[in-house]
Amino acid sequence: MNAFAPGLPTPQVTSQEKALGRATYAGDLKIAGMLHAKLLRSPHAHARILNVDVSRAIALPGVRAVFTGDDVPQRAWGVKHKQQHVLAREVVRFVGEEIAAVVAIDEDTAEEALDLIRVEYEPLPALIDPSQALEPNAVKVHPGGNLADEIGIVRGDVDSAFAEADIVHEETYTTHSQYPGYMEPMATLATTDGSGKLTVWTATQSVFLARQRLAEALDRPVSTVRVVQPTVGGGFGGKIIEERSSVIAGFLAAATDRPVRLCLSRIDDMLSGAFSVPMKIRLKMGMTRDGRITAKDVSIRADCGAYAGLAPEVMLVTAMRSDNMQRLEHTRSHAQLVYTHTMPRGAFRGFGGTQMAFALNSHLTAMADLAGIDPIELHRQNAIRTGDLSIHGWKIGSCGLPECLNQIEGAIGWTEKRSRPKQRGVLRRGIGMAAAMHVSGNRTMGNWDGSTIVLKVNEDGRVVVLTSEADVGQGSNTMLSQICAHELGVPLSHVSVQTPDTDFTPYCLGSIASRVTINAGKAMIKAAREARETILAAAAEKLGCDAIDLTIEDGVVQSTSNANHFAKLPDICRYHIFRHGGEGIHIKATHDPDTVMMDGDHYGNIAPAYSFAAQAVEVEVDTETGQVRLIESWLSDDCGKAINPLAVHGQSNGAAVQAIGWTLCEELQFEEGRLMNGNLADYTMPTADSVPEMHSSIVESMDPNGPLGAKGASETAILPGAPAIANAVFDAIGVRITDLPITPEKILAAIAAQKEKRDA
Amino acid sequence: MMAKNRISLEINGEAVEADVRPNRLLSDFLRDDLALTGTKRGCETGVCGACSVLVDGDVVKSCLSLAIQMNGCSLTTVEGLACDGAPSPLQKSFMECGGLQCGYCTPGFLMAASDLLARTSRPDVATIRKNLSGNLCRCTGYQGIVDAILDASEKMHGT
Repeated sequence: MNAFAPGLPTPQVTSQEKALGRATYAGDLKIAGMLHAKLLRSPHAHARILNVDVSRAIALPGVRAVFTGDDVPQRAWGVKHKQQHVLAREVVRFVGEEIAAVVAIDEDTAEEALDLIRVEYEPLPALIDPSQALEPNAVKVHPGGNLADEIGIVRGDVDSAFAEADIVHEETYTTHSQYPGYMEPMATLATTDGSGKLTVWTATQSVFLARQRLAEALDRPVSTVRVVQPTVGGGFGGKIIEERSSVIAGFLAAATDRPVRLCLSRIDDMLSGAFSVPMKIRLKMGMTRDGRITAKDVSIRADCGAYAGLAPEVMLVTAMRSDNMQRLEHTRSHAQLVYTHTMPRGAFRGFGGTQMAFALNSHLTAMADLAGIDPIELHRQNAIRTGDLSIHGWKIGSCGLPECLNQIEGAIGWTEKRSRPKQRGVLRRGIGMAAAMHVSGNRTMGNWDGSTIVLKVNEDGRVVVLTSEADVGQGSNTMLSQICAHELGVPLSHVSVQTPDTDFTPYCLGSIASRVTINAGKAMIKAAREARETILAAAAEKLGCDAIDLTIEDGVVQSTSNANHFAKLPDICRYHIFRHGGEGIHIKATHDPDTVMMDGDHYGNIAPAYSFAAQAVEVEVDTETGQVRLIESWLSDDCGKAINPLAVHGQSNGAAVQAIGWTLCEELQFEEGRLMNGNLADYTMPTADSVPEMHSSIVESMDPNGPLGAKGASETAILPGAPAIANAVFDAIGVRITDLPITPEKILAAIAAQKEKRDA
Repeated sequence: MMAKNRISLEINGEAVEADVRPNRLLSDFLRDDLALTGTKRGCETGVCGACSVLVDGDVVKSCLSLAIQMNGCSLTTVEGLACDGAPSPLQKSFMECGGLQCGYCTPGFLMAASDLLARTSRPDVATIRKNLSGNLCRCTGYQGIVDAILDASEKMHGT
């Protein structure tokens, strides 16, 4: 038995170079003659650029070039809304927007030159508050107005369903923007090589989407751009296609015809966006007395900042994904995405799911209380089940949600803790829970969700895997290696996954939508099995026996019927080359899941599988200081099958702590659109001593569409944290915080209001 | 141009002589001048700890230190932790216990953990967490890192 077979905890295949400090990130790369770039950013939320005088900057010794919006391609780039340029042209729309770039012999010189650029702005009135965006006299962010996107979805007869409900509850929730907080700020090295090709090494979650965007923004043919992914220091959605610095670096290299490295400082990285989309969600739900949800009505106002990016897709998720978690028949959703003169917001781990998970789970606990039902029971009663078709047409091939609920209920001692008397002292404890679902894959990105694996079996029997699915730390290369080693019968150490490179590795969408395990994992099984058949056929020929009698174990081909028939893999692989005119074993396999593009009404089975998670937490609230301390956290994730439990637990724990940060301590502070805490001292992410032990457990629902039963893991796990904490705070002190983050100030104000109400 | 000063120091057991400007950050000196890129820049404000190194045995944030201050000092960077190119017991524990994911913060955590284990052979969980408070990780939720340090302390110093 392979020690690292699928299902067994497996150290990351990249762990040694990372532990040795030898993994190479984009900012570690150097090329002879490399220049360094620094960016000048707008200090205004909205202004017209009247004049940019770069003469003194260019005159500084060591400066090689200075570029402004006048120098960049006129073609606008963007996801669906084409509205950005490499550097801002004519108008700036948020504080931090890049208006000029300096290229110099070193970073210090480039930085010094920034101070010598004189920009004349005409400040214009700015729209900062999204609630004002659709007012008739609001300042326009773009000529077409401030409505970036609008979604309306109606299923069933919502009004009649509300009329039949025994309990109707309505509340408004607000969620704030979270910084991805990857430890590696964006970094890119780009170069030309005299051949007309632009090569870009950048911290990305998707080399092909990065290439597409570079080609568009630089207005050049796709194939003249090559994107390579070095080791990436975390992404969390922020390194998909919305960050702008890799585009600027590519432009600078092309424009100077020299290698240029652009490493953002942390402050630069935080001024750039794109953070998660802040939303205001009004939620109304109807329920029968015995806990059956009858109707759901949602309205959403989301703020994408100055440019739309992926925010329309994010908002769509908020508007409808959570409906699929329950057996609903009547839902209505209306969502509006507005522009403001603030930094762009967009993709973030959970992709719009965290916002709605907060509203829905806060709501369900409140409604459970109104009905006198245990909230876990309410979830259990309404949960969608394996084999169901959801209200939006999602085919639920596996659903471990009931088991997730059982696990967290038992683990935290739910029943016992809920029945303890309410505490009256200064420190009060409470428990809360939440549940959520996520997609594993998503067909809506161009009606394709495929993944291709190329396997090369070398003459020594070792395997090279070519894929463009990006391991950004989550461990996908390890998952692919485990499957490959297992299917082929070679040790894990004989498999090596190459770095994504648009010129050499096959087209893939990359690490988005929790799609890599389910789609690339399937492609890997296909490729490895085909390679195995090829090897066995060659071995049968060489050994003079039937391929069907042969097996490969630990790098040796062995007959199951005759012990004398065996050969080491290198012998067979060399034999294959010699017997096939020099052809090595070179297998290509693609898997495109049997899913459908959603229709115009957002109906359709977009993913091959759906993941579920539930979390229970205990908190302690200090009623004098308003501080909330997490005491315990139990998270259960239904990832279908944990191919690498070590990675799944790691992802769950990391997601849980990222959720704690969003809920309790991370808050971007803006003044007139200006980020006031754009550094890690003032934007406080959780530290090791600020969180308790994280408990993670796994439910294996064995999805019929998943490789070995596996679905995506990691995004689902970030969804339930915030509402679980909010529900626990309510349990502890009887006040419900509906606007994130849950700060001491809000707790104290809520306690004071509660007291005033009681005394009145 | 600012005048440069000659410094002599030891890095990972090797003698180093270099001419540095007085304002040269230690993190930039290590990464850009000596190609010791295992030391990472994560925040430039001494918060994230990715740039941590050991100076005469004590953990120091190299983004808050000047190279010129290191004259006469003995430094260890992540590149100096390995034993003949192979991972040390501490590095092995980080690999095996899920103590790393993206790996960017890992060198800093390894230095903080080395410092802790040099002073306290069998730290308890609370002590470990307290001693990691100067380092940020966004991937692991710290659980794998704490587990790794417990594992290493057991393997290095017995039960």
